[in-house]
Amino acid sequence: MSAQHLVETRELATNFYTFEGVVRALNNVSLVVDQGETYGIVGESGCGKSVTVRSMMRIVQAPGRIDGGKIVMFLNAEDKAKGIEILGRTEAYMASIRGKDISMIFQEPGAALNPVLSVHQQIAESYEFHRMDEMLEKSIATLEAHAKELGGGPAGWWNGLRKSLLRRELGAHKNYSARIQTIDNELYKLEDSTDAASLGRKRELNHERDKPVRRDFLVEFARRVPFFARYRRPLNRTVEAQVIDLLRSLGIPNPENIAQRYPHELSGGMQQRIVIAIALACHPTLLIADEPTSNLDVTIQAQIVDLIRDLKKTAISSVVFITHDLGLVAEMCDRVTVMYAGDVAETATVKELFRNPLHPYAQGLLDAVPKEIQEGELTIIPGAVPNLIRPPSGCRFHPRCSHKMAICEKEKPPTLELGPGHFVACHLYTKDQSK
Amino acid sequence: MNLYSFIVRRLLFMILVLVGVSLLVFTVMMILPPGQRLAAYVTSEKVTPEQMDALIAKYGLNDPAPVQYIRWLGNVLRGEFGYSVTASAPVITAFGLYFPTTLELVLYATPLIILVGVALGTLGAVRKDSVADHATRVFAIVGYSLPTFWLGLLLLMIFYGFLGIFPPGTLSNSASDVVMSSHFHHYTRLITIDAILNWRWDVFLDALYHMFLPALNLVIINSAMIMRLMRSSMLESLGQDYMMTARAKGADEKTLYKRHARRNALLPVITVSGLTLAGLMGGMVITETIFDRTGIGWWMARAATQLDVAAIMFNVLFLGTIYVMINLIVDVIYAYVDPRVRLS
Repeated sequence: MSAQHLVETRELATNFYTFEGVVRALNNVSLVVDQGETYGIVGESGCGKSVTVRSMMRIVQAPGRIDGGKIVMFLNAEDKAKGIEILGRTEAYMASIRGKDISMIFQEPGAALNPVLSVHQQIAESYEFHRMDEMLEKSIATLEAHAKELGGGPAGWWNGLRKSLLRRELGAHKNYSARIQTIDNELYKLEDSTDAASLGRKRELNHERDKPVRRDFLVEFARRVPFFARYRRPLNRTVEAQVIDLLRSLGIPNPENIAQRYPHELSGGMQQRIVIAIALACHPTLLIADEPTSNLDVTIQAQIVDLIRDLKKTAISSVVFITHDLGLVAEMCDRVTVMYAGDVAETATVKELFRNPLHPYAQGLLDAVPKEIQEGELTIIPGAVPNLIRPPSGCRFHPRCSHKMAICEKEKPPTLELGPGHFVACHLYTKDQSK
Repeated sequence: MNLYSFIVRRLLFMILVLVGVSLLVFTVMMILPPGQRLAAYVTSEKVTPEQMDALIAKYGLNDPAPVQYIRWLGNVLRGEFGYSVTASAPVITAFGLYFPTTLELVLYATPLIILVGVALGTLGAVRKDSVADHATRVFAIVGYSLPTFWLGLLLLMIFYGFLGIFPPGTLSNSASDVVMSSHFHHYTRLITIDAILNWRWDVFLDALYHMFLPALNLVIINSAMIMRLMRSSMLESLGQDYMMTARAKGADEKTLYKRHARRNALLPVITVSGLTLAGLMGGMVITETIFDRTGIGWWMARAATQLDVAAIMFNVLFLGTIYVMINLIVDVIYAYVDPRVRLS
């Protein structure tokens, strides 16, 4: 039995082209996140955890670039076995799945929120990008309910005008969604074809998909001209209600007030909740949490962790959880990957990893955590994560490894499955197998 | 503390600044012999030496300096700024005549300076290290390092000297005749606006035609700084974490750049734009002299060479007021754009 994959990276290589040289941040990282699981990624700072997940969403910031490998997403509800390779897709395609299918929450909530936009504006964007059809429909319905009270006269006339403008806008958005749907279906069918004709067609379709929503002249005019732009007020009210509902569902007290605030007026814990709200606005399939608690007070940490765990039960299917807190991993995750200097060292279920760590780095990490009954001093891993402009040859961990062998300096160890679902990349076990 | 009390406080502060400025200018004025300073009190050009002595005694120009300062301040408060020798008119009248020309150029040049600076700076940041970026940076360095007078002369030489287009001056003779005629109503004293209100499109176009080179000169010189600032400020906001949040929620490029990066990047640009605008008023001396536009810069240049004390005193006070007012406006705009700034 194997679970359905959700995201798979194959030999992912991401480099940063800095002034000092090329930082080889990811050295062919392959990992699989299954549907419905909480997947942990652990490792010291600078091991490539954040770069891995940012690469998954293709939001690596300059001067970083994904130079090799594949990222396959299994987002199709009908055919969960067939994936889409996203590195070949356009930026507009990525924008359409970011926030809708995959979302991310960040390490520093204070820096992750835009200081000049209100909480409401920042959350409302998610609806604006991904759920415009629904919002427009709701607004039109409200206006229709209102129409009977207003009757004729100027108020009724203005109401009618707003309604017809909103309808036109809805029509444009529906056409757009339908067009995107058709293109995506065809692209989906062509996904695995590699002959010249289908490659050409794919390029054509990708180009076609990038075209923005086509609104008619009247709507474009009304949207831009100050007085007429008021026709969108019912829409803004609908979105506002959605935002407040969302904030309330996340257990934020007094959501009406919080929505009007600016990030600097909120506490760190509240800021992180807002970041979570932004990520959850469109009910994503996968939530990536990039050390969401490392910059928060301990009590707030617990609250945020509880919130994410509750959301995992109710709202989101899968979570990728990055942390260097092994206690949190044990508490939250189903499976876990240990990363070191851009390499995947070991992947196993949480129980297996804690009971039987195989990679010397994983062993070292676990030994460095205080136990319930601590005997003697805590051990440490000597040295530090290497500079990845000139990474160590062979196994990148060898300069710090207590089991170093001659081969470790020469060859990168292959990844072996040493138990069901327990993968490790270490020469200690290649030797065992060749015996 | 609300907006109004903030503004009132800043206006009170402005009075202090103006007292400081006037003390400074008055000290400089006291270096001049009494005969020169007399111009501030005389309203006619034809004065004999005997009359002058009588007037010096009458106005107490040999009195101790503090007494004279208080007296001068009293005159200023009553709105008596004296007589401008260079303009052959009372200072206030001359100012009313010259200021619209300057204001008109500033009104056209400032939006262009800000627009060009912000647009090219944004382009440079968004397409970093592209050909367009390098081109804008070269443009910025050229604009930044060229002296105003040299660029002005160069433009005049190329366009008027060689190509015979864009002549100096404010208006051509025929248009000037129209403006001087009794049929032409002066509603605002800004020629382009009056021309439209009088329905004289020929005059309007002629005024724009004459304004092109001085405006171009101002735009090249002044937009360079805004461009450089905008570029670096935009690059900084593009690298911020909140840009990644915005991308992670599915923002398209347009929204990313416009709503998320540019709004933050504009904050320092607002301050510098205000200073540029204020500096523009003072910097008009060179531009107006070169392009022969009869504005306050042109007037000040002549006043300075002919020791027209009354005109200089008035204009220095005026520029001080402009500086403080623009800074006040900048602070108010800043507080409006950046929610982290509270007016207190």
